[in-house]
Amino acid sequence: MGGGLLHDWAQQIGPLAQGLWVSARLAVVGLAVGLPLGLLLAIGVGSKGRSLRWACVGIVEIARGTPMLVVLQLVYFGLPQVNITLSSFVAAVVSIAVITAAYTSEIFRSGLAAVPHGQQDAARALGLRTADRLRYVIVPQGIRIAIPPLLNFAILIFQGTSLAFTIAVPELMAQAYGIGASTFLYMQVLSLAGLMYAAITLPSAAGVRLLEKRLGRHVAAAA
Amino acid sequence: MSEAHTSAIGPNHLVPVDSSPGAVVLRGVGKKFTDDYAVTDVSLTVARGEVLAIIGPSGAGKSSLLRCINLLDAPTAGEIVVDGIQVRGADGTTVAGKELAELRRRVGMVFQSFNLFPHLSVLQNVSLAQTRVLGRSKAEANARSLDLLERVGLADKAAQHPTRLSGGQQQRVAIARALALDPSVMLFDEPTSALDPELGLEVLAVMRELADEGMTMLIVSHELHFAEEVSDRILVMADGRAIESGPPEQVLRNPTHARTQQFLGALHER
Amino acid sequence: MSDSNGWDQFGDLVGGIPLTLELTVASFAIGAVVGVPLVLARRSQFRLTRGLAVMIIDLARGIPMITWLFVIYFALPQAGIRFSQFAAAVLGLGLLTAAMMAEIYRAGIAAVPKGQWEAGRTLGLSERRLFLDVAVPQAARVAIPPTATLLIGLLKDTAIASTLGVAEITYRAQIAAQNTYKGLTIFALAAGLYIVLSLPVAALSRWLDRWLHQKWTVA
Repeated sequence: MGGGLLHDWAQQIGPLAQGLWVSARLAVVGLAVGLPLGLLLAIGVGSKGRSLRWACVGIVEIARGTPMLVVLQLVYFGLPQVNITLSSFVAAVVSIAVITAAYTSEIFRSGLAAVPHGQQDAARALGLRTADRLRYVIVPQGIRIAIPPLLNFAILIFQGTSLAFTIAVPELMAQAYGIGASTFLYMQVLSLAGLMYAAITLPSAAGVRLLEKRLGRHVAAAA
Repeated sequence: MSEAHTSAIGPNHLVPVDSSPGAVVLRGVGKKFTDDYAVTDVSLTVARGEVLAIIGPSGAGKSSLLRCINLLDAPTAGEIVVDGIQVRGADGTTVAGKELAELRRRVGMVFQSFNLFPHLSVLQNVSLAQTRVLGRSKAEANARSLDLLERVGLADKAAQHPTRLSGGQQQRVAIARALALDPSVMLFDEPTSALDPELGLEVLAVMRELADEGMTMLIVSHELHFAEEVSDRILVMADGRAIESGPPEQVLRNPTHARTQQFLGALHER
Repeated sequence: MSDSNGWDQFGDLVGGIPLTLELTVASFAIGAVVGVPLVLARRSQFRLTRGLAVMIIDLARGIPMITWLFVIYFALPQAGIRFSQFAAAVLGLGLLTAAMMAEIYRAGIAAVPKGQWEAGRTLGLSERRLFLDVAVPQAARVAIPPTATLLIGLLKDTAIASTLGVAEITYRAQIAAQNTYKGLTIFALAAGLYIVLSLPVAALSRWLDRWLHQKWTVA
């Protein structure tokens, strides 16, 4: 059986690798779009203006309360109802971006709040106006604090790309299922797919833990 | 040493409304936080070039008072005039917008926990406000920053990040940062309380020089020897009120108020 | 293709609530229970046991849920083990929950101050008594908020059972959307259902946290 397994894997790895490439692209593009939006939402949630604050909180709560699978289906199968038809890849990217923005807004918000209050004091005492305080003092520090949780989130999103399978994106799971359905070698192909995911997520998670330790330095200790 | 300005505590009418340049005037200032009164009815005048030390037990409202002067916290009662700018009027209006920015340019503040920006280099820390608030060019700001760092003895650390420096060094950078905007008044909120005694000495040395150069300073501190040496007057606060004031020799050697005696007595015990 | 505007399918969606809830509760039960031997193995003195536990937890959390579900439902039959769609979904979700609960338990135990263990030992308490009477209550307090978060997440994760054909909310929404072409309305309604269902859990967690805070706070 052992030799047979490796033989099967050797045949399956090509198409699976192509699928993995699609998964990776999905994750990267989705995150690239979603993260800046998440930061904006975080600032919006903390703003003084009431309607802006409520609008942002509303968006965040709704997007966070909805299963990612439902978001994917809504964007791909639902939007055509209002004449917005997106390709499956674009629909997946949009869904990932929305989910990312909603979840990371909380991460950014915690990061910004963790910046020691004395920093605000010093910035205000120097006469820096609000926009400059945010831009030069608070946000740079808040982002640094938010980096480890954001990276962990990115790892989760990468795993989440597997759901794009349900809207016909040819990513890793789609390839695996396709091969399984036609060859009935489900165990072989699914285990290979699983290992390919793990090969990326596990070292990444370890890397984030390492980074967390090293990042402790350039951040002011919370008072 | 200045003269004439009366030891200003108590009923408002004893305090001359002095809006001469560089002076800091408080009349009946109060600060209330939700339920408690951190500061009640404090009046004082600090003339230009004068050094006022504010002492007293913890929780006496000293920091709260200081923070009202540059409006880090908004006072809930009284009047404050700083260097001709009406920070808070008797009617409750507080300075805002451009005038507030001007106030903060004229008043420099040094904090107990330094509050340097850790993600910026020492040089950037001192230059940031110069470029963003004063609009100086980067070159000009950096040149000025190096001068100031030279003055506090840290020009060689300009490229480093604050986390690499000792507490005493960080506080000296903080002083340079506050001086970068050419303020006319400097506020010090327990500048050496977070430092080992030896490191505190370097900071006090810088402060002594500043005082000798004629800077108007308000210093909240526990360093009584320093206060005696450097200040022109001492104000004693307890429970949010100003209870005694006068020249250092008088307040520290012959206090008249029971609470002051109690506070100083306890200090001597230790 | 029917002429409905999408809202008529609401009844269909609501019909999926029982299965969604069953999936959630069953998976959580399995996870909470299996998490215990898993965390004990994780903390074991034997390197082999520990290593095995770490590997299981890491793989469970590092491989997407849908992959695990497919392995259980499609791959295991190759070895002669067959599960129904519902069972496969519950098993998959349950095992993943077990891995996450093991980590939550671990963090909870770690949060018990070291001094407590030492004090208990000097008082002569057996390890077992120490664990049950001293550590567990304190660990529980720390563990409640992340568990509530996990539960809410689990409620949403049950949507994945739709890929196996389990007729919970999301599956029904997919069918309804195909029939009516009013996907936006229908999926929006489905989203609303999930949000509404999660509210009691969030409220319960806040209440529980407050109650425990009162009960266990040392004056």
